Order: sequence, then C-alpha cells, then structure tokens
Amino acid sequence: MCVLCTEQSSRAPSGTMDIIPNFVLGLLSLFIVSTVLYLAFLRFRYNRKLSAPKDTVILYQIGRGPRSPSISPFPLKLETFLRMNKIPYMNDHSARFSSKGKTPWIEYNGLPVADSQLVIEFLKRERNIDPNLHLSVEDRAIARGFLKLIEENLYWTMCLEMFGDNLEPIKTVIPYRGLKLWFTVKMLRFLIGLETWGHGIGRHTKEEVWLIAVDDMTAISNFLGDKKYLMGDQPSEVDCALFGMLSQIVLHMPGSRHEKYIKERLPNLVNYCDRMREKFWPDWQSRILQGESYSYDHGHLYFKENMPEPDVNSYDQKKTS
Amino acid sequence: MDWVNNLIFFSGLIVLLLAILVSRKLWGNSSSSNHSYLSDTVVLHQFHRGHYAPSMSAFVVKLETYLRMVKIPYMNVHEMKTGPKGKSPWIEYNGETICDSSFIIEYLNKKFGMDLNKDLSTSERATARAIQKMVEENTYWAVLLTRWVYNRDRTSRTLTHIPWFFVWLIDRRTRRSTYYHGIGRHTPKEVTQILTDDVQALSDILGEKKYMFGDVPTEVDCAVFGQLTQLLWCVPDCDAKHFITDNCPNLVDYCERIKNQFWPDWEECTTKGGKVAATK
Repeated sequence: MCVLCTEQSSRAPSGTMDIIPNFVLGLLSLFIVSTVLYLAFLRFRYNRKLSAPKDTVILYQIGRGPRSPSISPFPLKLETFLRMNKIPYMNDHSARFSSKGKTPWIEYNGLPVADSQLVIEFLKRERNIDPNLHLSVEDRAIARGFLKLIEENLYWTMCLEMFGDNLEPIKTVIPYRGLKLWFTVKMLRFLIGLETWGHGIGRHTKEEVWLIAVDDMTAISNFLGDKKYLMGDQPSEVDCALFGMLSQIVLHMPGSRHEKYIKERLPNLVNYCDRMREKFWPDWQSRILQGESYSYDHGHLYFKENMPEPDVNSYDQKKTS
Repeated sequence: MDWVNNLIFFSGLIVLLLAILVSRKLWGNSSSSNHSYLSDTVVLHQFHRGHYAPSMSAFVVKLETYLRMVKIPYMNVHEMKTGPKGKSPWIEYNGETICDSSFIIEYLNKKFGMDLNKDLSTSERATARAIQKMVEENTYWAVLLTRWVYNRDRTSRTLTHIPWFFVWLIDRRTRRSTYYHGIGRHTPKEVTQILTDDVQALSDILGEKKYMFGDVPTEVDCAVFGQLTQLLWCVPDCDAKHFITDNCPNLVDYCERIKNQFWPDWEECTTKGGKVAATK
C-alpha cells in the first residue's frame, strides 16, 4: 500500500464535501452570536440601569403580568410589602437576576439583597419597621408556619399544575411571543422539573400532588375563616406572601384545578384577594398589562413623600473640605 | 499494542458495569421486598439505627413515633435500599407498598380508624398543618445542609459509620437538591438564621404547654419531634445546636418528654455512639 496515499487521505480535504460542513458551522455560529446580541440589545434598550436616591429601594423584577402586577408570586409579595410599609421604591423591569440566580431582588443604598424573605428581613432591620408589631409572640410564630406552608409547599403544587402536560394555559400568561415564549416555557418546565425533583414533591403522582394542594388551600381558608386578614383585623407580613400566591391562582392559572377549587369552594380567599387589592393596589388597573389604564412604571418613584430630606449640612462639609 | 488497549478498555467497562449492578442491588430502590411478613403488621423499611437517635432521618423518627403513639403493630427492616420513589422510609402492609411519611400516616389513619387530631378545632388543624409544613419543608433542609455540607467531616467522624466516600456523595447530592430547592443558594450564615428562626417559632408556639396543642400529643408532635431529634442528637456542635439548647429549654424538655413517653427503649434503638449494634 502506498504510504503517501494513506497520509494524503487522512490529512487533505477531498474537495467540496469537506467545505460544506465548515460553511454550515460558520453560518450557525453567526446566527447564534447575532441572536444573543439582538436579545441583549432588546433587553437593555428600554430598560436603562437605574440609580436610586438615598434610602430608596430599587426592586428588580421580571416585568408586569397580564392580569396581576407580576406573573410570579414573589415580586408581588415584595412589592405589596413595600406598599404596606410605604417604603420609597422604584421598579426595574429589566429581568436582571441576582448573583444567586434568583428574582426578585433589590438594591438599597448600593447594596444588593436577594430572596424575597431575606429582603423583607433586611428592610425591617434597616428601616426599623415591624408590620407584625400588633401580633402576639405565638401569632408571629403561627404566621411563620403559614408563610412556609404557602411558599415551600403550595407554591410547588402550582408550578407542577401549570407546567404539566398541557402548556397552553401558561402561554396565555407569560407576556412573550413567538420563539421567546416557546423558549421561556420550555426552560421553565425543565427547571421546575429539576427543582421539584430535588424538593421531593416532584416524585409524587399528579393526584398525590393535587391532594397536597387541596389540603393546603383548605387549611389556609379554614384558618382565615371570617377574618379580614390572615392573622386578624389588621394586615401583617404574611398577608403579602398569601396575597402574592393567591393572586396567581385566581388570575394567572386559567382553567387549573387550583383556580376552580378556590373560586367554587373557598370564596373567603377570593374576597380576601379583593380586599388586599383595594387596600394596597388602588392603581391596579395601571399596573397590569391588560389594565384599562396600563402604564409602564420602570423607574417611577413610589412614596416619594417618605424619602429622607436631602442633608444640606453634609453638602457644606464636602464643599469646605 | 492494540489488543492490550482493547483488553484494558473492555475490562474497565466490565468492572464499571459490575460496580453499578452491585450498588443498585445493595442500595437501590425497592418496588417491594422479597420477604413474606406477618399479616396486619406494618413493615417499616428504614436505614440503620443512628449513633445517638433511633434514626438520622427525621421522617423515620416521625413515623415510628406515630406508630408507637397509636400502638399499631409494626416491625422494622433496616436496609440501605430506598422505596419506589427513591425515598425512605416506606412501608408494606398486607402486600401494599406506601411511600412518604405523610401519605403513610394518612393511609394508616384510614386503615385503623385513627385520628390523633380528633379533638382539634378546624382552625387548630390548619395551624397544625402550617407547623408541619414549616418543619418538613424548611427546617428539614437547613438541618440537612448543617449536617452534610457545613459540618460534613465532623459528621462523618462522630455521627455515622458510613464510609467517607459515600458521605462525600451525600454532600454532593445535598448541595444539588438544596440548590434546586432554593435554600442552597444562601450563605451558611443565612441558612443558620432561617433554621434558628424556625426553632424560635416552634418554641413560641409551644410556650409552656406539654405538647403543641395542649396536654395530649397530636399528629404534628410526631413531625416536630422527628425534626428536633436531628438538631439535638444528629448534628455536630454548631451554632444552630447551641441555639436550641441555650435559648429554647422548653423545646429540649418537650423532646425529653416525648422520648420518655414513647421511646422508653431509646438507648437500645441507638448504637450508643457507634460502640455497639442497636438491639432494637
């Protein structure tokens, strides 16, 4: 056998057949890079990076929802907390994620804080506020129990319900279109599969998960009873979380078993949502995409009247030094 | 030489396949056991006994405490295999297999006509569910991280006979599960704060009562006791453990009370610090 021929056949391209794969590879790379750059351009074009005045929260979230101010319960919980305590804040709807890979998150005087509950604990310390002041020690503890039931149990049953076999309802809630919508839904379904498997609830059958959801929703309804808010006549911190979660069930889970169960069997929870909305979201119609008076509030400052007065003395000191 | 390379490659492949098969046989999932047991007796499948508590699984302690509380006949099978859902504990009862401690309790309540919560009001039952979900869906993960990740080496040396390699595997698996759960993305300081806040809440709800809802134990006491045994007896010395012993004496008394009432054979159900085999 000719050694030269062997070497040539292993090294040299044999004409047109080797050029085509390189060409296709080049086109594919160009397409991917262009898509990424275009998506980055779209994301940042309308969402300038905000800088907030002193003692003002920048709330990073993923944008408004069609029938509720967010398609996720946690931004709604956090924003309701800010409104409940009249903390000056502005929204950043750019969908930037925190260093922990989570959203919502905040920046406060330049300091980033992630995870809705850690944010709440942080703001309570920083601003010396306590929305649970009127509760007894035991009631505060019970409220914490319900917070964990809502966020660490009921929430996952909702995810499994909406990202199960039928993805059409969730596509009417996520406010994207075309390829972006398809990709987002697929990615969220994949992540929820991983998260619920790690959590443990994803290993149960659909019926078992549904029974868990029924028991949770019934427990919340039974505990609320005829009360105005979960812990009594005054709203407290847990109401932010409960309102955030129930709003999703009532408004952003169309055709789901959760929605049907609450609307048909637990009317006190529906009335509770209306009450919270009237109290803390008088501008509701302006803050939902399908609202009659929707307006984009990226960078809009809320509770400006509670911002601290500018410190004139510190300016004089800087000027003279 | 080519044939030597091929031999090494295929030998390695065969060894790997054998290792996987043996591991699955020893530690894999079971769809059911191969033994035939007494009828009308719950067969409780669980891991081996712990050094200082009957189990290093809060859910095993919860379930076994429940069985003792309602006096249902049962027997233990100690093995490293998990149930059909890849979880432990699981039970067999008259040929039926049930997984997940909460589903097992619901199943047995129906089978035996039991209801530890029968004297609770509707609102109290709801509160009991909230407490249970807090300890099982929140506290549990924080304890897991404290034991298997933040204090892994001390756990391996002092609290278990599991070989170090498998402890390392548990560490990796815990990190992955808790990352996807969400709690694993926090710093150790934040996780410890979450844990101590939960423990404080339990202490505040218990107050001066004997059990969570008065003088008589209810179903939630099994769950709370199960989780607290882990913090008291199944983690090395750490801030979270000191928090409960220094700041929540009512919870320590509560655990001793349940231990004395439902586990008079507690010592026989442990390996006494890894010195002896558990006799029960």
